[in-house]
Amino acid sequence: MTTIRRFYCNDLLRFASVNLDHLTETFNMSFYMTYLARWPDYFDVAEGPGNRIMGYIMGKVEGQGESWHGHVTAVTVAPEYRRMQLAKKLMNLLEEISDTIDKAYFVDLFVRASNTPAIKMYEKLGYVIYRRVLRYYSGEEDGLDMRKALSRDVEKKSIIPLKRPITPDELEYD
Amino acid sequence: MASKFGLAGGIPERKVRPIWDAIDSRQFKNAFKQITTLLSKHPNSPYALALKALILERMGKPEEALSVCLNAKELLYANDSLLMDDLTLSTLQIVFQRLDHLDLATSCYEHACGKFSNNLELMMGLFNCYVREYSFVKQQQTAIKMYKLVGEERFLLWAVCSIQLQVFCGNGGEKLLLLAEGLLKKHVASHSLHEPEALMVYISILEQQAKYGDALEILSGKLGSLLMIEVDKLRIQGRLLARAGDYAAAANIFQKILKSSPDDWQCFLHYLGCLLEDDSIWCDEAVNDPVHPPKFINCKISHLTDELFDSRISDALAFIQKLQADNINNSIRCPYLAIIEIERRKHLQEKGNDDNLIDAIVQYFDRFGHLSCFTSDVEMFSEVLIPDKKTELLGKLMKNSGALSTTPTKSLGQSITLFKIQQILMGHMSKMSENELEVSSVQMAEMYCKSLPLSKGLDLQESMHGEELLSMTCNVLVQLFWRTKNFGYLAEAIMVLEFGLAIRRHVSQYKILLLHLYSHFGALPVAYEWYKSLDVKNILMETVYHHILPYVMVSPLWVELNSLLKDYIKFMDDHFRESADLTFLAYRHRNYSKVIEFVQFKERLQHSSQYLVARVETPILLLKQKTDNIEEEEGVLESLKCGVDFLELSNEIGSKSLTFNEDLQTRPWWTPTLDKNYLLGPFEGISYCPRESSTKDRETNFRRVIEKKSLLPRMIYLSIQCASASIKEHLKVNGSVPGKISSEMKLLLERYAQLLGYPLSEAIEVVVGSPSGERSSSVVDYNLVDWLNFTVFLNAWSLSSHEFAQPDGNGWKTRTSSSLDSLLEKYIVEKVRSMEPQLCTPWNDVQLLIQLVSEPLAWHGLVIQSLLRSSLPSGKKKKKSGSVDQSSSHLAQTLADSVQRLSFIVEEVMKWLREWKSRTEDEHLEVILAPLCSNVQSDGPGKVFHILETFVSSVNDTELGNHISESVKSWSPSDVARKMVTGKNKVLMEFLRICESKAKLLRSMKQRIAQL
Repeated sequence: MTTIRRFYCNDLLRFASVNLDHLTETFNMSFYMTYLARWPDYFDVAEGPGNRIMGYIMGKVEGQGESWHGHVTAVTVAPEYRRMQLAKKLMNLLEEISDTIDKAYFVDLFVRASNTPAIKMYEKLGYVIYRRVLRYYSGEEDGLDMRKALSRDVEKKSIIPLKRPITPDELEYD
Repeated sequence: MASKFGLAGGIPERKVRPIWDAIDSRQFKNAFKQITTLLSKHPNSPYALALKALILERMGKPEEALSVCLNAKELLYANDSLLMDDLTLSTLQIVFQRLDHLDLATSCYEHACGKFSNNLELMMGLFNCYVREYSFVKQQQTAIKMYKLVGEERFLLWAVCSIQLQVFCGNGGEKLLLLAEGLLKKHVASHSLHEPEALMVYISILEQQAKYGDALEILSGKLGSLLMIEVDKLRIQGRLLARAGDYAAAANIFQKILKSSPDDWQCFLHYLGCLLEDDSIWCDEAVNDPVHPPKFINCKISHLTDELFDSRISDALAFIQKLQADNINNSIRCPYLAIIEIERRKHLQEKGNDDNLIDAIVQYFDRFGHLSCFTSDVEMFSEVLIPDKKTELLGKLMKNSGALSTTPTKSLGQSITLFKIQQILMGHMSKMSENELEVSSVQMAEMYCKSLPLSKGLDLQESMHGEELLSMTCNVLVQLFWRTKNFGYLAEAIMVLEFGLAIRRHVSQYKILLLHLYSHFGALPVAYEWYKSLDVKNILMETVYHHILPYVMVSPLWVELNSLLKDYIKFMDDHFRESADLTFLAYRHRNYSKVIEFVQFKERLQHSSQYLVARVETPILLLKQKTDNIEEEEGVLESLKCGVDFLELSNEIGSKSLTFNEDLQTRPWWTPTLDKNYLLGPFEGISYCPRESSTKDRETNFRRVIEKKSLLPRMIYLSIQCASASIKEHLKVNGSVPGKISSEMKLLLERYAQLLGYPLSEAIEVVVGSPSGERSSSVVDYNLVDWLNFTVFLNAWSLSSHEFAQPDGNGWKTRTSSSLDSLLEKYIVEKVRSMEPQLCTPWNDVQLLIQLVSEPLAWHGLVIQSLLRSSLPSGKKKKKSGSVDQSSSHLAQTLADSVQRLSFIVEEVMKWLREWKSRTEDEHLEVILAPLCSNVQSDGPGKVFHILETFVSSVNDTELGNHISESVKSWSPSDVARKMVTGKNKVLMEFLRICESKAKLLRSMKQRIAQL
């Protein structure tokens, strides 16, 4: 029971129940507002009955040539609404916008190498581990760069896994 | 910054690049060296000067930076032949902005635009300046100039947004929207529109003028194809049709959306609203606070005829049933909850049937009863039922629950839901007997333990099955405390939550409940630790701070308070500083709707009530910390402009619009808002779950409190002045009493009294007593700290005011002084004597003591310090006559009396604190643990605790898996108890430190008085 709509600034004052989760980062204001100012279609919130915030997704679209892609920066669901496939709905929406509106080649995301449940979930959604980014998280933990090819990447070239891990300074985008 | 190359104000780029690189890598000294060399070759280059100013500002030399900037600006203005490029201007702009001189940056751009009137780059820079200054009219004018110059759609939209901002955030009338509409219409006719956001703005302009038909026409025309997400377009269309009153067409549109998104609850509500021709949902959206939207829509009674109503309802039912059938394999909830909503609407129309509503909820339970969100989903519907029917519903749910469960997790989910329904929906807890409550808490704790094996295979990061059971157990235990006043239940609740956190450290719900419980217990440092583990930062400070800030504000944990206030104010101020730049980013990326949103959001935060509290509490904290040294206190007051700014703030509060952004949903039942704590009593009349949502009462109360608080810095300043003036008058040093101080003090006293609800004369009688000596203590009891503060200030004023003196020289003046001393003595000493130095003393008494000592008593200490300082001979002053001698000795006596009484009060408090300190840790631990370990057969706390202990002692490693079983075993009740004792001890020792510092001051004053 989900109404997915664009995320508004005021939702920042309503998402405490979601963000108090220990794995959900609360970024600084300019981070959220830059996403809202630049990629408003990639920042969506799911609302349930009684106007409760269930979860949200924030992302962007960037890159050159065949690297033009959607990126999931954060996706999170409040404890009360977990195990109901809400993250999947939010991810599908972002993929659809990347695919049909922005004609991107793929969607990617980073996940902590230790976050097994999340990795499993992304794999179920069709993402593959494209490469490992060494010490991506605060110079400590490795990150996994996971990708899912979109319809424009007919041969699915974008998701052929890299053989070697890379370091954060080799990343093309922040 | 490194991108800022190109034509560098006439200086070769290769010479500038290393300087920017040095700035970017924060090597300011190096950068400064290089710019000095560069300036020796280009001494009059405004660009080089701007760079120098930037470096100086970064090096922390704002004054020098400003002077260099002004020099650069002068050169720019003076020399017409000088190149005036955006690079120079934007560098100057950066420095001016950092120096809080936006106006100077704007005037540079204005000057440049005046000189080169067709330079688009400069005009954009100027527009940006106006965005930063929130000058909407000038933004509009500049955007229009750009639009006329190049005819680009984006500049027209910049102008249109600037117009909307005038209407929403400025003082522009709504007729300005007509102007915006005209501009857009003309542009569309000649150039059409090319950006989806431009179309959205166009539609919003029309919608704001209620021109729904026009908006619909545009949307369904060629322009409509700009909106590429079909469902977005349909939603707008549906809303416009409904607002235009074409409900049938709107209902069709919403039906279409529902077919493709059958789980869209909001869309279903729109659909039903249209069928029943009720536009409340849209009006609600417009009227209600977007941050605290209502849980459900207040529907109108339908004006439709009975037949029509019935037929529309059956249309809705048929459609929803089809949706259910079409999505039989999906686990979507909307079509099932929709049936309940339809029954609710029938109910509101008095065509309802309780049995149908109950059946619909039971059916929803059959499908979704295991979900954690079941209770919040149906919360709003059960409101319709009378208590008896609610009980019937509960009975039916219970009956159905056993038969349905297929898997253990589902079965657990349903059982949890049933407990929740009893607690939350039925308000059942208030009706249950103590025995029933105990049984229920025991059942939940047992269920939690039994369900732990279900979580065996889960990752550590994942939430575990049945986590809610422990928070619900805690709620019941607190209810038992509320009923019995037996502190053992609170200790038990703490043990339960700590047990849960030992198993999984990440349950924020437990942490929040715990931090309130620990605070209530007085173990604030432990509460603070758990609060810190929630990692509350950035915008969460605005919504989550209320859990901790009010407790720390009345505690002696000044370091923690200072850090909370500083972090929060920094966050808010940083946002206010950067918000305009982000607004400009939205302009540049043509996301116009975000422009309006950002400006409105910044305003919302600027009006935040919590921000106001932080701004007022910060100086008060500073003042509290320095009261034992009058010179240092005066230093603080000087930095606060003697409290003048706060006085102005206080004057504005009445008319200021305030926003309350706290997320209160997460608060525990016993303290639903910041200013309510049922655990402090009254202990009757309130049932379990009265979630007050109305902010109205809170707002009125809040304004009064904060208005009063913001008077404090000035009144403290004036009190010190009044005291010293009174001595000078005695000694005839200056010949006259500064009447201005006295009359200002009187005005403020009048205001303070008014805020306490009395005219000044009556307020004086309250504290000094009527001439017959009677004092109304019940009035003072209610707002003790405020009344005593008032008395301190009154006393200071009476010292210097002729108005206050009685002809016999022995009127109010003397009475005020002795009343103040006796009030302080009465409330502090009596309180201390009534408290047992035990762990479980109601903490609010201690809290009050801390406040009394660190506020009124401390302010009074300052007045005495001021009196003493002025009366001590400084060598230059000569004693003039015998009468002065006489009055000096009288003064010395009065001072000595006051100091003596204050010393006595402080010593009494210290005695109490030392007695606490003298007890051994074991004694304290015993107080916490003994009630929990009592015989489980007897009444009272300990039953849940016993279950947990038994569980821990018989834990089965294979059944639970290594991780859970290890965690379970790590739970140590005595460690928890020790943590509580240590936490409480820290607070009390901090309090003792404050008292000791006061005692030391009083001793030194005694010695000085002896010299008089």
